[in-house]
Amino acid sequence: MRASARRRYWRGRVQRVLVAAGASFVLLGLFAIPVYLAAAVAASRAPVGVDWAHLGLLFAGSLRATACAIAVALPLGFATAMFSAHFCAPRLRAWLKPALEMLEAVPTVILGLVAATSFAPWLKSHAATLLALLVALPALLLAAGFAFGRPSRHDGWLPLSVLPLLCAIVAFGLWLSSRAQAPWIVPASPWNATLVGLALGVAALPLVFSVAEDALFLVPREQTQAAFALGATRWQALTTVVLPAAGAGLFAAALLGIARCFGETMIVLMASGNTAIGGFDPLIGLRSLGADIALGMPDAAPASAVWRDLLVATLALLASTVLLSLAAGFVRARLRRRLHAGAAA
Amino acid sequence: MNGTRAATAATWMLGGLVGLCIAAMLGLLFFTLGSGLASLRPGTIERITLADGSSRLAEVVADDGHALLLRTSETRRLGEGYERVRRGDVVARSEPVDAFMIGLGDGRRVLGVGDDAALAAAVGSIGALARVVEVLRPNALGAFEGAGIFLRRLARFVATPPDASNLAGGVLPALVGTVTLVLLMSVLVMPFGVAAAVYLHERRGVGARIVRTAIDTLAGVPAIVYGVLGLGLFVHGIGAGIDRWFYADRLPVPTFGGGGLLWAALTLALLTLPVVVVSVEQGLARIPSSLRDGSLALGATREETLRRLLLPAARPAVLTGFVLAIARAAGSVAPLMLVGMVKLAPASPLDGAFPYLHPSRQFMHLGFAVYDAALASPDAIRGVPRAYACAMLLVCVVIVLNLSAILLRNRLRDRYRALES
Repeated sequence: MRASARRRYWRGRVQRVLVAAGASFVLLGLFAIPVYLAAAVAASRAPVGVDWAHLGLLFAGSLRATACAIAVALPLGFATAMFSAHFCAPRLRAWLKPALEMLEAVPTVILGLVAATSFAPWLKSHAATLLALLVALPALLLAAGFAFGRPSRHDGWLPLSVLPLLCAIVAFGLWLSSRAQAPWIVPASPWNATLVGLALGVAALPLVFSVAEDALFLVPREQTQAAFALGATRWQALTTVVLPAAGAGLFAAALLGIARCFGETMIVLMASGNTAIGGFDPLIGLRSLGADIALGMPDAAPASAVWRDLLVATLALLASTVLLSLAAGFVRARLRRRLHAGAAA
Repeated sequence: MNGTRAATAATWMLGGLVGLCIAAMLGLLFFTLGSGLASLRPGTIERITLADGSSRLAEVVADDGHALLLRTSETRRLGEGYERVRRGDVVARSEPVDAFMIGLGDGRRVLGVGDDAALAAAVGSIGALARVVEVLRPNALGAFEGAGIFLRRLARFVATPPDASNLAGGVLPALVGTVTLVLLMSVLVMPFGVAAAVYLHERRGVGARIVRTAIDTLAGVPAIVYGVLGLGLFVHGIGAGIDRWFYADRLPVPTFGGGGLLWAALTLALLTLPVVVVSVEQGLARIPSSLRDGSLALGATREETLRRLLLPAARPAVLTGFVLAIARAAGSVAPLMLVGMVKLAPASPLDGAFPYLHPSRQFMHLGFAVYDAALASPDAIRGVPRAYACAMLLVCVVIVLNLSAILLRNRLRDRYRALES
């Protein structure tokens, strides 16, 4: 009896140690990255200094790609999140969320492939069409809603019922552009920031959506129902109650989306042309931090100046993304505490 | 009234943007799968007659409205048959029913016209010089024959190794490399991931908060940074050290001091750790506390409750984490470009020679095959369809894995809903 009790005790001890070891492995993994990078940069004895001008161009390139991608991911992500959390029919929502999770799982190399080999040749001669569609789509949707729309029980299924209209607009735009001979906007390179932005925006969309939707869904039901009881429409409840309460969560979603775009490598590597050009033109190529590392690192000799510069680039990339995601985590935690306190009170 | 109208219009816009997302998602999926399937379909052979009186048998590869890009017979070397002709110069196009195509092992295609005797003679004379893998009359295929050829090509694509140019043949080594890599990775990541998740579940103090922040942060670290860590720390640091101590006789040829399967798997293990931890922890949190309280009330210790009750009950969640980690790992290419993934590996990391698994060897990967065939290939006309065929395989693998993860999670949710009521 005593032997079995001792065995029980020791088994418990061993198990606890194993669990703690697993947790400390996580910490080890996290701290190994910056410690290794900083130590390797500090230990480098390369005779030439860091090429800050090149690094600046890479940083600017990453920023330009991120800006273009965010212009796609934020409107689409926020709209999808708002619709899913506030308007969506429950059955559609049960499909929408896993579908977007699936989109997140699509390997980025495939987005890069589609962008670089199939979309780039189209965009080269149809940049004006794209711009026109980007402006016309929301405007036509608004106009159609104004003309035909009335509040109805079936608004939860709007995305599917509007789909034919959407396809018609896009098809009409494509047909029109295929008849017009002169392309009004000619990109300097078929691989440019706009192309990167579109592909990267699609890649970042699921993350923005899930974080934003999470925040919107956290807003206690009682608050929206109180708004309805006071006579608010769904749209009024969204803009006056839900959005103010969950605004911080949307901000966190934006931060995480920016971090995701800033750190993404494969799409930028394939669709950006990888030429280190500065400037703000969305129609010229760029070279990002991640792509530079992926292209340069395999051939760089350890302890050379190139190697050291690439490590500095990695540090810059790591620092920016980690700061962004820490800030987003902080914002989200505070929001969650506040909303839970509100629900309890 | 006017305000309601504006609100409805805004709702329509929101719904439309959601519809746009759905359309883009489906479009991307079908475009990738469709392009992949189309790359395996046999093309039509046309006889193109030009204004100068010359005529040729060719497959039309591209048509930009001004010119046709043709692929004619490649009798001597790969890629010699491309020809660009102005549309204005073409006087006649026809599809001869008796045209035949002989596919060779190195990816070349020889075209010809004639009856079965002519075809047999052509196969005989070419077969003496090169390996013939496919003989067909693409213009005279029925629907069933076409489907049969398509399936045979798909099987050959999945089950044979590529030839030296990496433009023809299959992707078997890349598939084997991907599978070996993700399995080794999951063996490395699962114990640590589950342990960390249990720690987060059991503890509520400062330690747990630090670990949780660490997990969130790790999830946000760009994949390429893990690649740099893998190359700098694992390959050049630890690997080179192992070589100095244990394989000094082989230096300067690196054994573990070069990129290889083991280091790639370790890198991916770090990358997928947050996925596993989050999934397992969610599963543990979903188990009703009554189960746990009952076990403690019956005299079991916390550790016994965990080992005998909670972990077995959370098995679907562990499985979900495993599947999600595999899906994430199968799709990540950027970090692997730094730690041992190559275009053509000289030897497979998995073979019949003892010890069967060779963790120091370089390997091929499906995701890298996509990148390489699309952008680094010398022959884009052949490379891009090949890239789409690889992409199709990769998408199928990842989607099947994710679907099964979603189904597992739903099953777990249903099981505990039943327990709670």
